[in-house]
Amino acid sequence: MTETSNSSTKAQRSPGRGGLSGLLHRHENLRGFLLMTPTLLVMGVGIIAPFFILVTMSLWTRQGFDFDTTLTMANYARTWNEPIYGALLSRSFWISGIATVATVILCYPMAYFVAFHVHRNKMMWIILMTLPFWTSYLLRVFAWKVILGYEGVINSGLMAVGLIEAPLEFLLYSQEAVIITLAHAWAAFAILPLYVSLEKIDKSLLEAATDLGDGPVARFMRITLPLSLPGVIAACFLIFIPTTGDYITPALLGGPDGAMIGNFIQLQFGPVNNWPMGATLSMVLMMWISLIALVFLFITRLAREKIA
Amino acid sequence: MDIVDQLGAVREGKMSRRAFARSLLASGVAIATLPAGARRAMAAPEDQGTYFTWGGYDIPELFGPYMANNNGEMPNFAVFGGSEEALTKMRGGFVVDVSHPCNQAMPRWVATGLFQPIDPSRLGNWPDVIPALVDLEGNDAEGGSIWMAPFDWGQTSITYRTDLVDLEGKEESWDILWDPKYSGKLGSLGSGADAWWVGAIKAGVDFKDIDTPEAFEKIAAVMREQRPLMRTYTDDNTTLEQALSSGEMVASMTWASSAVQLQAEGVPVKFAKPKEGALTWVCGLMIHKDAPKVDKAYEIIDSLLSVETGHFMINDYGYGHSNIKAFDAFDAAKLDSLGLSKTPSEVLSAGHFQVPQTQEWETKMNETFEQIKAGF
Amino acid sequence: MSDLSYIKRPNRPLQIYAILFLVVLYLPVLFIPLFSFNDSVYVKFPLTGLTTKWYVELWSREPVWNALWNSVKVGAAVAVISTILGVIAARAITRYRLPGKNVLVTFIMMPLVIPGIIFGVALLILMSRLGVPLSLFTVTLGHLIVCLPFAVATLLPRFEGFDKSMEEASADLGENGWWTFWRVTMPMVFPGIVASLLLSFTISFDEFIMAFFLTGTDPTLPMYIWGQLRFPQEFPSILALSALILFVSFFVVFVAQYFGRRGLESDQ
Repeated sequence: MTETSNSSTKAQRSPGRGGLSGLLHRHENLRGFLLMTPTLLVMGVGIIAPFFILVTMSLWTRQGFDFDTTLTMANYARTWNEPIYGALLSRSFWISGIATVATVILCYPMAYFVAFHVHRNKMMWIILMTLPFWTSYLLRVFAWKVILGYEGVINSGLMAVGLIEAPLEFLLYSQEAVIITLAHAWAAFAILPLYVSLEKIDKSLLEAATDLGDGPVARFMRITLPLSLPGVIAACFLIFIPTTGDYITPALLGGPDGAMIGNFIQLQFGPVNNWPMGATLSMVLMMWISLIALVFLFITRLAREKIA
Repeated sequence: MDIVDQLGAVREGKMSRRAFARSLLASGVAIATLPAGARRAMAAPEDQGTYFTWGGYDIPELFGPYMANNNGEMPNFAVFGGSEEALTKMRGGFVVDVSHPCNQAMPRWVATGLFQPIDPSRLGNWPDVIPALVDLEGNDAEGGSIWMAPFDWGQTSITYRTDLVDLEGKEESWDILWDPKYSGKLGSLGSGADAWWVGAIKAGVDFKDIDTPEAFEKIAAVMREQRPLMRTYTDDNTTLEQALSSGEMVASMTWASSAVQLQAEGVPVKFAKPKEGALTWVCGLMIHKDAPKVDKAYEIIDSLLSVETGHFMINDYGYGHSNIKAFDAFDAAKLDSLGLSKTPSEVLSAGHFQVPQTQEWETKMNETFEQIKAGF
Repeated sequence: MSDLSYIKRPNRPLQIYAILFLVVLYLPVLFIPLFSFNDSVYVKFPLTGLTTKWYVELWSREPVWNALWNSVKVGAAVAVISTILGVIAARAITRYRLPGKNVLVTFIMMPLVIPGIIFGVALLILMSRLGVPLSLFTVTLGHLIVCLPFAVATLLPRFEGFDKSMEEASADLGENGWWTFWRVTMPMVFPGIVASLLLSFTISFDEFIMAFFLTGTDPTLPMYIWGQLRFPQEFPSILALSALILFVSFFVVFVAQYFGRRGLESDQ
């Protein structure tokens, strides 16, 4: 550890800091924690306290404007017994899952292209790919309404060509509309982690593989894909998890059959006015997300072992 | 790779970092010069009152008198999309000066203890306020004070395309929104605060009995019947008006303003006068109990109650106003076409006027209605 | 570096795909400026006529500009703070052998497995209990919680792939700790930092749910737009504003590239 000893000798030379630096030098992990303090402090205020409130509230029940603070599992029992909650949960996971897979598959070649085939102005490409996301999410959802809508781009286009007589109505206010919009809206969240992991790949490894006689496909399967897997996993998580809790897109584009669990959680805090139930639904959603994430991680680990 | 190669790479990296610093500077300049208008707006003094209201009520046209008293400054605004949303936020600790509920929600708002009574003697326009609009259930605080100063009123009815809906010589009726002929081409406001009450009208339930279990069953059955016919439920007027203007929907439950807006755009629509009666409402202004600027709160309310604000509300939004003098500028025919009248009680009682309910009922109703909307 | 002929060689299908990808990515967004010139308050085809009146109207709408400026302020603050906190965390996690490192990482990533709406409500209650008035600061805190995991997730792979021997080499050459960090570490993790800044700003600028619960009297742009959805006659102005944002973004990128290029040339 040349660097460590070097810097600590320097630090010890400066007056007044010798004792602390010495301590920090001896306990390297203490220095690590010290470095982490600001981040941990912010996360503590933002996570632990709200999480505590959430868990507590999920065990309360509503009573008029107030809460009955007796701890009970009644809300959890309801989410288990009433079919609507299970149906909404599985629908949410289905919609988000499809949107996630579609986004990652569609964005991978793009990230690959920028990482390996763009040699000048890489940053320009990255900015170009994230630029649309500087516009309001609400407006992009609205733009999709214009495209998928009754007199929208697709319908008027198809009618002009003469392929259809009357506008296709299933394009809007359907689960498909939600999936398409989510995939488009979250593309940036796939491209960035994919690009970062692909860019990191040591090009000499690819060279070595070629020297060993690997073709493009074998090279991709043996080196590029396994090494970019962390990016793929990150992209999946970054898209799947927030989208399961989304409520704006289904609210604006989903129609009556496109409602997701996020809509119902939001309703509990709004018109339905049952905060404890909302907290419970959120807890249930979190548990399911964790479970799915664990299974997903397990599968990717198996896959990675197989590829490697 | 040896160390020299690596340091070479670092040097390259350093170059791009320097370049980055420059580009950051450049974009910083660009961003700083971007909202030239924002700078001006940022000068808004801290000492204006805050008005928590629906979108569209945050425009200068409604605050002429206020701005005249405050060097041309408007109040500060916070905007909500629905009144339950607003109540949720205030119950969570959000403090404003003035907010904007409707008569049906007012007693529940009062019951939260989050509001203070309004002293009418502090409002210059009060003598011109139509008494029938003040005299609402639950609107009497102690000592001649009131909880809510009425501001706007109107109807919830059906806006339909005259070219696409064939009444076949029959009277206009809520049945349009239950007609299987128009399946997939009907729309509705998404909040139970409107839709459930319309369901009651359709089911023939008297609003006095709307809290009975039988009424609940009946209305739920009617709403379930309607659900498969619906293109969408939404709280946003833009969606409904767009769909009506394109013919995607032929009829929808809307407020009067949607019909006025569509007609102004030349879309052939009519705001129906259903034979069963429309749904009628009064919205008004309440002062938060911890309002930091009570004086400004009264100024905001007085400005909203003024004649010039009333002109704008009637002419541009098609809503009724609470100042009787605001109606003088309009002839009877114009008012009638908007479904308004100088004597609001005529319009309000000709329709079905919403009746305040308990929080329990409200919660149960919303929960049921949301489940029905989701298909359960 | 030796020649990597197969990488340098252009890949036609991939190029075509990239162009198609950008078209699909931009097409929906480009309808916004298109309709901002439409002479009708309703967004539909065919266009009824061309007008610039919405832009004129926008100029006089102070609340819109306020909202935009609020979003820029919050977004910039969130991007910078979350990236700094993210760099610190990523460095601590990768540089030191921390006991319970995995627990820490999981902890930082927690907001990703919690719907934003829950944090919004929970933070709102927390703030009211603490007596903190709602303002852009509470929105910033909320956005920070949302953005930090993204920042760390973006930066961590960079730091993980970072070769420690380079820092050691620099230290051997007599550089001190901070100088080494600035001269050696920074350039290596630089793409990650840019990605983190962009990502954090993007998320914050767009974020609606946390802002919905935590906004005081100063709305962010998404909050303002949400409120305006109820009144269609306001909507074209919003489209005009979005078109302007788009235009300004393009302009900023162009300027950044121009300066970047000049910097590179002068260095060479």
